Amino acid sequence: MTWLNILKHHRWKLGLLLVAANIGVLLNLAFGTPKAFNEWQWLDIIGEGGTSLFVLLWLFLVLKSRPTGRVTNYLSIGLCCIFFSWWMDVLDEFIRLPKHLGWNHWLESGPMPVGMVLLTIGLYHWHREQQAINQQMEKRERTFREHRLFDKLTPLGGADYLKHQVGDCMAQSREQEQPLSLLALDIDDFSLVNQHYGHAEGDALLQALSQLLLLNLRRHDLLCRLAGDRFVVLLPNTGESQARLLALELQQAVQSLAHKTRQHGERVCLSASTAVVMAFDEAPDELLKRLNLALARAKPPRSKRA
Amino acid sequence: MTLSSHWYEADTRFIPGHYQPATLIDLALSRGIDSHRLLRGTGLFYDDIVAGGTRLSAQQFFSLIANAQRLLDADDSSFLFGQRLLPGHYGPASHALQQAQNLHQALETVIHHRALLSPLLTPRLLLDDKYAYVYWLDSCGAQEQLRFVQEASMTAFKAMSQWLSGERLPWECCLSYPEPRYVEQYWVHLGENTQFNCQLDLMRLPREYLTHAWPNASAIARQVAHQQAQSQLHDLGFSASLLDRLYVHLRDHAQRAPGLEEVAQHFSMSQATLKRKLSKHGTHFQAQQDQARKHVALYLYQIKGLSNDAVAEYLNFNDPANFRRALKRWTGCTPNLIRQFLRV
Repeated sequence: MTWLNILKHHRWKLGLLLVAANIGVLLNLAFGTPKAFNEWQWLDIIGEGGTSLFVLLWLFLVLKSRPTGRVTNYLSIGLCCIFFSWWMDVLDEFIRLPKHLGWNHWLESGPMPVGMVLLTIGLYHWHREQQAINQQMEKRERTFREHRLFDKLTPLGGADYLKHQVGDCMAQSREQEQPLSLLALDIDDFSLVNQHYGHAEGDALLQALSQLLLLNLRRHDLLCRLAGDRFVVLLPNTGESQARLLALELQQAVQSLAHKTRQHGERVCLSASTAVVMAFDEAPDELLKRLNLALARAKPPRSKRA
Repeated sequence: MTLSSHWYEADTRFIPGHYQPATLIDLALSRGIDSHRLLRGTGLFYDDIVAGGTRLSAQQFFSLIANAQRLLDADDSSFLFGQRLLPGHYGPASHALQQAQNLHQALETVIHHRALLSPLLTPRLLLDDKYAYVYWLDSCGAQEQLRFVQEASMTAFKAMSQWLSGERLPWECCLSYPEPRYVEQYWVHLGENTQFNCQLDLMRLPREYLTHAWPNASAIARQVAHQQAQSQLHDLGFSASLLDRLYVHLRDHAQRAPGLEEVAQHFSMSQATLKRKLSKHGTHFQAQQDQARKHVALYLYQIKGLSNDAVAEYLNFNDPANFRRALKRWTGCTPNLIRQFLRV
């Protein structure tokens, strides 16, 4: 499906590249004579041919992974030019052109600098775009990125990402002699939501909750999903009393969330339990364990259902 | 022909595709996994499963689990699967479970109808004066999938009992393997006081919770569903797996420790056949023998509160040194250590 989408969105660029590459072949064949097999320079063929194939692969990866737009156009047209240059270079290895021709040097070396300039402009704008995206990722990501640690369900980091960040933040807070607090939030009786409204609704609710919690955090906080319906917030430069205040605010936010189910639009009433711990000199694993034990103590006894 | 003289093996095709396997398939599909890739190599077809005519063997179920694990690529797959497993939609056995009047009845229902409700892992119940213990045994040689199945089964038990009882039950879980990297999944789904590196895969809770009355139960409906499930087992022709039957036999004769020949005779097969069947399940006779005797020793220590000498005598060890060596082989611990271990 996605490959078809590439063809749909970029048919002009890809079509032009195909036509240009073919015209190059035809021009070479029209003016030159093919080289005999024993004249072929295998090292050059592999070097130049391999490079052009890699450039083609990069082009497809860029087109496949990026939404269409200005930056994508710069990157892809730049890569098209570079590919064309290498392609003309490879043809040399198979076809001998008369010495007096001038245009073949132009076709070989002309598109390369143009492609490099376009690619560089594209990369620069990509950098700007990434900065804008980083701002959107605020509170969900801190300095370090590893997509394999993303949570599969919510747009947050998972437990492994959290553990990585806890380690980093503890070292940082020791260095700067600033307090570091951790906050855990767990939805009370979340399994009832799954049982009453189905697991798909439970998943949707977790996604809604992650957005809600993000809205209630400060810029330098980091929200991750630990497991199931349990979220952990990393609070740098925050003492325990301030963390408690934040925990209370998050609890109130969850309570006043008026989530409506997708099927019948019923309101789901939720409450959350929270726990707060301050980091001491301990291993990150120990800290997380302490946080979770504190949360277990904070859980109210389950209310009997009507 | 009685149910107790028959069994299912890892390649017996009897698990309806629309029972437990469908729960896993639904979970994978809800995460955007392609059904063809999910069923690749299992010999199953999505349309047949939906039509309700497919029966899986345990081996096929294991390869389905392996595919799902690989494609979902998340630490919580087994726990999410477990949450959806019980009471389930597995015909009258599920109804009987849903109508249980207390935890004790629910546990007995799952154990009695384990071929229908928990075909891959056998739950067993033990009671002492303080606690009820549920421990789990591999029914079909799960091997690499054993941990997934254990996580799912324990989560299923916990989630089912909390749901049907309407209260938060203080289950404590012990697992025989070392603490995994994703321990937070255990905290959230099985409780903060889950322990690792234990002797058994076991969950326990204070005994008084067994008899708390559960809401929404009907004794008559339960009775009828129980009978219907019983006749379903009769139609299948078995109610337990070969490994399960073998475990019970070895445990009941732990004092004598019968040899391979005698046991093969009891199961009306040749030694070579029994050996071959066990190796099909990824195990061998001595391992099963050791497991049964280890469990008897642990039972005598923990539940009967016997001394070292009494346990050694019960298991027919004449020499204390021999007993110490055997216990060390079974558990990796000396007798005194094991007593301390169990007291925790």
